[in-house]
Order: sequence, then structure tokens, then C-alpha cells
Amino acid sequence: MAKRLLLAEDEPNIVESLSFLLGRAGFDVTVKTDGRQALDAALNDTPDLLILDVMLPEMSGYEVLRHLRADRRAEKLPVLMLTAKGQRADRKTALECGADIFMTKPFANSEIIAAVNKLAGVTAD
Amino acid sequence: MDHSIVGARIRQRRRELGVTQADLAQRIGISPSYMNLIELNKRRIAGALLRRTAHALDLPLDELDGVSERRLVETLVGLAHNPSFRKLGVEGERVNELIGRFPGWARALGALAHSEREASVRVQTLSDRLSNDPYLSETLHRMLTRIAAVRSTTEILTEYVDIPEDQRDRFNRIVHEEIRTLSDVGEAMVAYLDHTDQTDRILTPVDEVEALFNARDNRFAEIEQAARPLSPLLSDPHPVSRRQKAMALAEEHLSGAIDALIEQQAQIKTAAAGSRARRALSDYAVGAILMPMDAFTEQAVASRYDIEVLAELFSADVEAVCHRLTALPRAEAVPRFGYFRANAAGMIIEMLGLEGLSVSRYAAACPLWVLFRAQQSPEATIRQRVLFPSGERFVFVARARHTGPSGFGKPRHYVTNMVAMKEDDARHTVYDPGPSAIVEEVGPSCRLCPRTTCVHRVEDPLSE
Repeated sequence: MAKRLLLAEDEPNIVESLSFLLGRAGFDVTVKTDGRQALDAALNDTPDLLILDVMLPEMSGYEVLRHLRADRRAEKLPVLMLTAKGQRADRKTALECGADIFMTKPFANSEIIAAVNKLAGVTAD
Repeated sequence: MDHSIVGARIRQRRRELGVTQADLAQRIGISPSYMNLIELNKRRIAGALLRRTAHALDLPLDELDGVSERRLVETLVGLAHNPSFRKLGVEGERVNELIGRFPGWARALGALAHSEREASVRVQTLSDRLSNDPYLSETLHRMLTRIAAVRSTTEILTEYVDIPEDQRDRFNRIVHEEIRTLSDVGEAMVAYLDHTDQTDRILTPVDEVEALFNARDNRFAEIEQAARPLSPLLSDPHPVSRRQKAMALAEEHLSGAIDALIEQQAQIKTAAAGSRARRALSDYAVGAILMPMDAFTEQAVASRYDIEVLAELFSADVEAVCHRLTALPRAEAVPRFGYFRANAAGMIIEMLGLEGLSVSRYAAACPLWVLFRAQQSPEATIRQRVLFPSGERFVFVARARHTGPSGFGKPRHYVTNMVAMKEDDARHTVYDPGPSAIVEEVGPSCRLCPRTTCVHRVEDPLSE
């Protein structure tokens, strides 16, 4: 059965390309375009992994992640944090909030697929 | 004044001009034997005689009286102690010899040190601007997001041959659309950077005013002179306070002189800096009326530069006394003072620097300075003896005072005034820490500080 992946991203063109890529990689992709919706879906729909953008409307990716890590339903959900803010401080914040992998935009498709597969592998163990 | 420099300088210049000692002595109206003693640094030379000598030797007074040389010595000593040159083995103790033997090279080195300092400040300002400018940050974010979409989509178009026609069209449209947006964002960014790439936009108005005070050594002879006849008027019976009266006198009699002064200053480039300079010089003028320099110098020496005693004697506030201390004329046994003012957010809102003591307003300041700690003990005067990584020692004296409206239940806000002096100078003052006071290791700012193990470090040092 395909792994269920939640994609929290508000840029429609990036959503389009990532949905295509992840779909081809065998994931069942659900998209949420703001932080609040993403948090709700991550807690209630129990996806297998989450790709989370930092700059989201309503609630930032960092905030979403803090809530998730404080909730038993999602404390172990594998999360790949994706952002155009690639400074050392941003990476540090992402990892402190509980991200498993931090990737910066622009990314190579092969890198993001490899990272997602790695996270999915983690859940399969 | 360093007389070993003045005597040698007179002899050097006299020889350059091919003038005999006797000729020069005659021209300035002294005996040849006295001239000889001056050149051998066995007699001091100052005042009218020094001015006559400068005139006879066709030299600006500040070149002869050692002010230029002393500045050069301070600059070169500062350079020798620069942490970036730690491993070069710069012979800091032989600065005087360098200046004496190779004056041209020494001046060139001094000029280079100044340009390097200015360039560093500019780089730091620009770098802070790049990191903190909300427009740039937002624009860079937009650009990277657009590039991410283009990159990902073009990779898909190249790598997947079996994409359905309608989806391939959609991807092509995305690439086209994103590239157009990217080009708009790029153009807007170039226009923005082009606009900000003007020298007078790089420095803030605060920087411009400080550059003016720095260029004038914190002292404005024309205001001092114009203020002198006004000071006696303060003793007239008057219903308002001395300070209010001084403000009114400055406004009435000195605003023209201040406006004229600002117009002539190259450092003041923008209208915002002009009005800020006007406020700063009006405060200077009020200080000059309240505390005429001759009387202030006399009382400062008598009280050993005790800020609180001086404030009481002249009915002035601590801040005005601190300002006045920085404007003291240079003389032997008179300490040089720097001045810093910081608010509760730790921002340095005013800075009248002291040679050898530089701090960046824009980089992470050293939190160990008493300037940032004094607000924990408001209205108390706190002394701090500090050691910089360069080996230089200073004494800081800080006092936080309440500012803004008072009243029960109202939040209390404080600003801190701090004067700084070299430890050697502090021995002339009540703030002399003596040999047994604790020495605290501090730095100029994280970026310029080589103390890698400091637990308070928040940024990496530039020299690494």
C-alpha cells in the first residue's frame, strides 16, 4: 500500500511539481496550503510523513512542528522541512523544533526524492 | 603633548628648509641656546611661541604641536594590537622609532589603517543591511522560491518522457510564468540596490553626526567662543532654571552660528543628519553656556573629574557633564574621555569615540561592558576596569538614569550614560581603580574579538 505523504506548501507551482514527483515515486500525496490546515491534517489524518514549508500562511512551519512534537499523535511523525531560508540559524531552528531533515530551496528533484524515501524507510522499520 | 616629538619635528623641518638654529631662533625672537634646548626636548614649547615657530617653519600648528603625530602613534599602536595581526609579530613598542625614521611610511600606514577601518565599518553596515533589510530578505525568499519551481519543473520535463500532453503544457506554462516573475523580481532588486548604493545612504544620519564630532575631536571652538559672553547672564535673577535659561540663550544667540557651522561640514550630507546635527550642536552650545570651558576645566581638575560633583556644581545633568568631558581641550595630565549612551534594548544610541576604543553599533556588541549592565542598578555610578584582547586597558564609568514621564504605576525606562578613559588616564581621576581592582576581560564586539572560548559569544570572529 502506498505511503501517505502530507505536503504543506503554499506555492502552487512547487505543489504542482512536487505532487507529480512524489506521485511518480509511489506516494499518496495530500496537499495543504496553510499552516493551520497542515497541523490539523497531520494530527487527525495520521500521514506517514510530512513535507513542511517554513513560510506558510496562518501558522509558520516552525509553529506547526512545535505543536506536532508536543502531541502524542504526531510526536514521531517523520518531517522534512523545506525552506528558501537557508541560513545557519534557520537550519538550527528547524532541527531544534524537531525536523528530521532540513532542505533548502532550490532543491534537486533527486535529492528530495532520496530524502523522502529515507524518511519513509525510517517509518517502515 | 609629547615633547620628544615636538623638538625632533622642529629640528627635522628646520633642516629640511636649510635654516640654521640661530636663524630660526632670531626669527621667532628667542636665543639660539634656548632654541637648542627646545630641539633637544629640554625645554617645553607651547602657546604663542609654538605658533610663531610653526609659522616660521611653514607648518600647520597641529603638525608641529604633536597632535597629528600623537594621532598617528595611537593609530599605529592600535594597528599593532589588532587581533588579526597577532601572528605577524608587529613591533608595537617601536612605533615612535618607525615614525621618527620613516615618517612617510608611518603616515601611509596610518592612512591605510584609517581607510581599512572605514571600509570595515561600511562592510559591516552593508552586511547587516543585507541580513536585516526586510525588503531584501523578502525578495531573496521570493527569488529562491521561483528558482526552486523552475528547477524542479525543468528537471521533470527533461527526465520524464511519458508525461501526459496536458500536464506537459501545464509544466511549460509554469516555467514560462516563473521565469517572467523571476526577471521582474530581479529587476526590482537591482533597482533597489542601485538606489541604496549611494555613499550618503550607507551611513545613517546618526553616523554622519558622529563623523562630524569625530572630525572635530568633539570640540567646537566657534561655539565655545560665542557661548563665553552668554555664561555670565545665567547668574542674573530669573524665574526659570539655569538649564532653561541656557537653552533660551543658545536658541536666541547661537542658532545662526550652528546653522552656518553645519552648512560647512562635509560629513553632514542628508537633511535628516542636518537636523540631528542641529540638535546635537544645540545641546553642545547649552553645555558650553552652562559649563564655560575654563571654569569647567578648573573644577574638573579640582574634583578629579568626578561626574556627580561637576553635575552639582554646574547644575547640569550627568549626561551634559559626560559630553563636556569629551570636549576638554587636549593637554598634559588631562584625560581623554569617550562617551557612550545605550537604551534598555542594548542599542548604542550615541557614541563619541575614544582613540583605541572602537565598537560597532551594528554588530553584536560585547554584553560584558558595564554599559549594558548598569540598568540593573539604576542611578548608581558603577566603575569597570576592562582589558581588551589587544592588551589595552580602559576604565568605564556608567550610570543609568530614569527617562520619560514619572508617576505611580507608570513603567520606568532607563538610559545608560558611560564615559570611557584609558587606564593610564584614569589615575588622574576619582575613578582610578588602583592596582588591586578586578580586571574584566571584554571585547570590542563578537566579530572583532578573538576570545574563542567566551561563553557570551553570539557571532563568529571575522579573523577566523
